[in-house]
Amino acid sequence: MTEYLIRRVLQSVLVIFLITILTFLLIHAAPGGPTQVMLAPGLTPEIFEQQAKNLGLDQPIHIQYIHWIGDLLQGDLGYTFKNHIAISDLLWPRIGNTIILMGAAWLVSLLIAIPWGIYNSTKVYGLSDQTASFISYLGFAMPTFWFGILLQQWLSLKLDWFPLSDMHTRGKEDSIADLFMHLVLPVTVLALGFLASYMKYARASMLEVLDQDYIRTARAKGVKERKVVFRHALRNALIPIITILGLDLPILVGGAALTENVFNWPGMGRWFVEMATAREYSALMAVTIVTAVMVVIGNLLADILYVVVDPRVKLGKQGGKAA
Amino acid sequence: MAKKRKWWSGLLVLSLVGVLFTGCSTNNTAGSSTNAPAATTAPAESAAPEATEAPAADAPVDGGTLVTSSFSDIVNINPLLVNDTASGDVAQFVFAKLYNLDREGNVQAEDWSLAAALPEISEDGLTYTVKLKDTAKWSDGQPVVADDVIYTIETAKNKETGSPLISQYDKVKTVEKVDDHTVKFTMSQIYAPFLYALVQEIVPAHVLKDVKPTEMQKNPFGTDPAKTVTSGPWKWTAWKQGESHTMDADPNYWGTVKPHIAQVIYKIYADQNTEVQAIMKGDTDHISAIPVTQVEAVKADGKIDIIQKPGAQYEYVMFNFDGKNFPDNYGLFAGQKTRQAIAHALNRQGMVDNILKGIGALMNAPFLPDTWADPGDAAVNYDYNAETAKKLLAEDGWVAGKDGILTKDGHRFSFELQYNAGNSRREQVASVIQQNLKDVGIEVKPKAIDFAAWIDQNVTPGKFQALLLAWSLNTPDPDAESIFSSKYFPPAGQNSGWYKNEKLDKLWVDGYSTVDQAKRKEIYKEVGKEISTDLPYVFLYQYGQAIGTGPRVHWAEEDAPEPSLGYGQFFHAIKWWVTE
Repeated sequence: MTEYLIRRVLQSVLVIFLITILTFLLIHAAPGGPTQVMLAPGLTPEIFEQQAKNLGLDQPIHIQYIHWIGDLLQGDLGYTFKNHIAISDLLWPRIGNTIILMGAAWLVSLLIAIPWGIYNSTKVYGLSDQTASFISYLGFAMPTFWFGILLQQWLSLKLDWFPLSDMHTRGKEDSIADLFMHLVLPVTVLALGFLASYMKYARASMLEVLDQDYIRTARAKGVKERKVVFRHALRNALIPIITILGLDLPILVGGAALTENVFNWPGMGRWFVEMATAREYSALMAVTIVTAVMVVIGNLLADILYVVVDPRVKLGKQGGKAA
Repeated sequence: MAKKRKWWSGLLVLSLVGVLFTGCSTNNTAGSSTNAPAATTAPAESAAPEATEAPAADAPVDGGTLVTSSFSDIVNINPLLVNDTASGDVAQFVFAKLYNLDREGNVQAEDWSLAAALPEISEDGLTYTVKLKDTAKWSDGQPVVADDVIYTIETAKNKETGSPLISQYDKVKTVEKVDDHTVKFTMSQIYAPFLYALVQEIVPAHVLKDVKPTEMQKNPFGTDPAKTVTSGPWKWTAWKQGESHTMDADPNYWGTVKPHIAQVIYKIYADQNTEVQAIMKGDTDHISAIPVTQVEAVKADGKIDIIQKPGAQYEYVMFNFDGKNFPDNYGLFAGQKTRQAIAHALNRQGMVDNILKGIGALMNAPFLPDTWADPGDAAVNYDYNAETAKKLLAEDGWVAGKDGILTKDGHRFSFELQYNAGNSRREQVASVIQQNLKDVGIEVKPKAIDFAAWIDQNVTPGKFQALLLAWSLNTPDPDAESIFSSKYFPPAGQNSGWYKNEKLDKLWVDGYSTVDQAKRKEIYKEVGKEISTDLPYVFLYQYGQAIGTGPRVHWAEEDAPEPSLGYGQFFHAIKWWVTE
C-alpha cells in the first residue's frame, strides 16, 4: 500500500508538471495581455508596451515559465501582473469561501440523494421514484443562474426571508447564523444540480446489485428484505458512488462561476473567470495547479476507499486494481 | 417484499421536504416576473432627485455610511496609473485634484481643489503659473507642495513609467518650482487642452521619489491602503479584494468644506444585474450605471431615484481605409458617397428610441451636443433615408448583383463589422446596422470578439474592415487629433482606420494652437463640417448610463450627480449626506 501510494504520488507530480507546461503555453497563446484594459483617447499602444516591459511580460515565454516554476518550487505562487498583489493573498481566501459553499451544497445533496436513490431502487416506478425522476430532470434542465435569480426575486426581494447576495451582512462578518442565512439560497440552487445526478447514480447502482444472483439467493433463503438491502447490497452499491464522489472532489475548490456571480459569492469560480478576462497568467496558473492537485487527490482517495469498501479489491503493483 | 418501515418513511419525508422546498419555489416564483410594468412618468432630466425622506434638503447631517457599487474591482488607484473606471472611482474619493470641473465642464479652483486660484496664462499662451493652497496636506500630515506637482508631471511624462497620462503632458517642456506653493509650466507649443490636463490628482513626492519609474506598477502605493498616502476628504482604509473598499472621512482633512458622510463603502458585484438587485434590496445606496434594459423595472419599484442624461461618450461605426484588409486590396469604403450612403441608411434615431430607450442624442461630428465646440448645423446631418442611400450608392458606381447584394468592379459589397462580445447594447446596434444596410443592398456580417483579444489583434494594429465602438471622453476639450490625424496611424497611434485627410490634419493643429475660445469654436465648426462630409466614422449618438440612488442619500440641488462629466456620478459627493 505504501509503495503504491509513493508511486502514485510521483506519477502525479510528473502529470502536474506536464499540465503546467501545457496550460502556460495555452494561456499565453490567448490574444491580448494583462496590460490592455481600457480604450480611451490618448491611451496609445506604446503605453501598454511599456507597462508590459515593466512587468517582465516582454521576455520570451520559456524564460517566463522558468521564472514561474522556479518561484513555485520555492512555494511562491507569484503576483498579479496588473497590480503586483501576491496570488496567495487572493487565492486562499477564495478557496475557503468556495469550500464553504460547495461543501455545504455537496453535503446537502448527498444526504438527500443517496438514501432517496437507494429507497427508490427498492420501489421502482413508485410515487417516490417518479417524484425523484421529475426532480432530477428539473435539476438537469434548469439553468442554475436562472433558478438562482428566481429564488432571489421570490425569497429575498419579495418575501425578505433571506439575504439577496454576498457571504455576510456588513458588520456581521463573524456571525455563523448570518453566514448560514446567506448560504441557504445558493446552496439550494447548487444542491438541486448535484441531487439530480447523485440520485440517479445511487438508484442505478443499487438496482444493478439487487439484480445479482447472491441477492436472489439471499431472498430465496428467506432473509428479511431490510437485511438483504443493508447487509448484502448496500456496500457493493456504494462502490461506484464512492468512485464518482472521488472524481467530483475538484468541484469543492473549483467553484461554480454562474452561481457565484448571481449570489455575489467571492469564490474561486467567479475569480477564475475574472482572472481569465484580465489575462492574469499567474492567477490562472495557480488555479490550474490547485485544481490538478485536487483531481489527483480525488482519484487517489477513490482508489483507497474502494479497497476499504470492497475486500475483493487489492491495490496491485502496477497501480491498477485486481478484482 | 418487506413492509415499509418507519425509518424509510422518515427519511423520505425529510427528503421530500427538502426537495419540495426547491420544487415549489420554482412554481411560485414564476409568477413574480421581473418585467414590471413601465413607469408612467419619467423624472425630469438632470433635475436633482428630491429627497424622499426627512430631513429636508437644506439640513445636512454628519455621519453615516454611503454604500456605492461597481461591477469590477480596481487595478491601481495610484493617479499616475489609473487606467480603468473602478480605480478612477475610488481615486475620486481619496485624492484631491489640482483643479476640478464645475457642472458645465469649466475648470475651477474649488474649495476642495489643491490650487488656490485659476492658473495665470502668459500673453503668448506658453506658460501656466499655478498657485497651491498653503493649507493642503497629505494624510500623513506632510504639506502638499510644488515638488509634488513637479514630481507627478515629470513621472507621468517619463516614457518608462508607462503612465496613461503621458499624452496629456507630452507638450510640457518644463515644470519649474517658483516657490514652495507655486509651479510654472512652460509648453513647447501653444496647446489649449492643457488647461484640462490640470484637472488631475497629484501624488506625494516624499513617498515615491525613490521609486524607479519602471518599478511604479509594482510599488504598493495605490494597491495597499496602508501604504497609500492620500490628500482627499476620505482615506482609503481597507480593500477586501473582489469584495469591497472602505474609505473613512479623514479627521485631518485640510479643506474648509468637510465631508458629511463618515464612511464610503465601494462594493464590488459580479455584474450589473446583481448590482441592480442589490440597490433594489437596499443593500447599496448608489449605482453608477443601471443597464437600459432594467431602468423601467427600477423605476416601477419606486424606491430608487434615477438620473438619466447622456454622458461624455459616443458610439460610432469606424471604416477602415487600408485596402489590405479587403479581398484583392479593394477597399470598400473608398468612395465618399458610399460612406454618406451608409450614414443615410442607418436608422440612428431608431437606435436611440428603441435600444437606448430615448436616452441619447444624435451626433454628426466628434463633439458632444450642447458643448461649446458643438458645430450644430454646420455639420451635415444624415437623416434616415434608404432611397437617398440607394441613389448615392448608384452614383458611386454600385449596381445590384444576382443575389441582390451590390457589386462594383466585380467586388460584392459585403463586409465584417466587429464589436466586443458581451456588450448587449452593441449586439443590438450591430443587428440593426445589419438590417438597415441589407435594405440598401449591403451585406454586413457582425462579429463579436473578446475585448482583450480584439484590441490586441484588430483595433491596435488597424486590422479589420469596419467596427462598432465608442469613445469615452476623459476631458471636456474638443481636441481629437490623436484619433483622426494621419500622424497617429497604427500601431503607435489610435487612428486605427488609417484615415487620411490633410485638411483635417491641419485643422486639428490649428484648433489647439490658440487659447482663444472664440477662435477655437470657429475652427471646430470647420472641423465639424469637413469630418461630417468626409465621414471617417458614421457618428451614431451620444449615450449615457442611468445613475440610481436609494432613499438614504441626499444632496442640495447644486450638488446632484452630473452624468455629462467623467466620474460625474460622484459630483460634489463631499457635500452629500445620508440618513438612516
